[in-house]
Amino acid sequence: MKQCRTIFQDGDHRWLAIVRDPNRAGHVIDTNEYLIESGGDSLLCDPGGIEIFPAVFSALCAETDPNRVKAIFASHQDPDIISSLALWLDFNPGLKCYTSWLWSSFLPHFGGTAETFASLPDEGGSIPVGDLDLEAVPAHYLHSSGNFHLYDRGAKILFSGDVGAALLPPEQDDLFVKDFDQHIQYAAGFHRRWMGSNEAKRRWCERVAVMNIDMLCPQHGAIYQGEDVARFIDWFDQLTVGIL
Amino acid sequence: MNAPESLFRRPAAPTSESQLARIVRSNEEIKSIVATAFKINLMALNAIFLAKRAGTAALGFGVLSNELRRFAQDLTQQMASLREMTAESVTAVSNLMQQRRLDRILELAVLACEGREIPGLELVMARAEGAMTGKFQRLRQFDKVLHRALEATGQLVELGGVLARSAKIEAAYGGQYSSSLMQVSTDFADVIDQIKRSLEKLTRERLIKEGS
Repeated sequence: MKQCRTIFQDGDHRWLAIVRDPNRAGHVIDTNEYLIESGGDSLLCDPGGIEIFPAVFSALCAETDPNRVKAIFASHQDPDIISSLALWLDFNPGLKCYTSWLWSSFLPHFGGTAETFASLPDEGGSIPVGDLDLEAVPAHYLHSSGNFHLYDRGAKILFSGDVGAALLPPEQDDLFVKDFDQHIQYAAGFHRRWMGSNEAKRRWCERVAVMNIDMLCPQHGAIYQGEDVARFIDWFDQLTVGIL
Repeated sequence: MNAPESLFRRPAAPTSESQLARIVRSNEEIKSIVATAFKINLMALNAIFLAKRAGTAALGFGVLSNELRRFAQDLTQQMASLREMTAESVTAVSNLMQQRRLDRILELAVLACEGREIPGLELVMARAEGAMTGKFQRLRQFDKVLHRALEATGQLVELGGVLARSAKIEAAYGGQYSSSLMQVSTDFADVIDQIKRSLEKLTRERLIKEGS
């Protein structure tokens, strides 16, 4: 079963990371899901694929009431991001799914009605969760053509989707990056191949470099914190992407 | 404690995978009947010309050829409506398969919670059960409609068989054209037998097994 770890807490404002499933089938990529709680409501970032729903759901239930999940944030349209949507809707048919306008007519293939989807314009926007106003930060072409990250100004946490992702070997299951130089080798190939545009990458780096970020939380691999956040942004800025 | 066992209170549905395979087989039989009906239509047209050449000796044969042509047209129409029904059945079966997959994963999720209290689970289960029952009933309804349509087609094909037999009798009075008319009426009887066999196969392909 996946573990549910609290990575930030300030009163009822909390971030939970649902990570590392030892029973995961080897052919399914490991994913991190993040739950942001505030004022009795919660939002789930990239809830994951349909096949890993039992693992995510049971880990989440161990920590919190699944009925409180009032919204889902889908950074983009991939099946490992959002194909479990129909099952989350089983628990809350009124749940809102925030995603790029580009995908709001594609994601209904995974479930939901016209009322389920809240389309985000290209420039982003705010997403209310309890007492919070989370910010959808544009990250188009990194890697999806309609792609957003989610910033929590209060917690100083940026959910960065596939940016920062690392395909770690099974024995490296730390929640946080411990040794940046050793870690980044597992991110390099992924970023070169999955990120399609150097121009888009440069814009993203410029955008997030001026944000106050304590933790950068990717969908795969370990979380960057403290100085490793700026270190990662610099590394990414230098990397040539969109090549085989 | 929320008991996951209650998630299994569902109608006992047969496997949807085999239902889809049955629909594919039905569709193939329908296509084969449509092709044969087209053949009867052409054969009947030729038979009408032959009867005209044979003159008064083949008046009865001419009337029957006209009837066989009408039969082929009615059969084509009937098969078009059957084809539409099978297309709708694909939707019904796909919905059922999707629901079953979601239910299976939901069950695994509840079991993974190892008996922990899950608020609202009863409501979720009731909704899932209602959705499954609704989709299963819709499929059962389709199966009934399809079966009734097949029975009606069976009666139409019986009529075709009678027409072909009568054409054989009329061919015997065809004078010098008798052997040509006999050949045509035997061909009619053969293709109608072929349709009967396809129809029997179609009738055996039920979307839902008896008693489920």
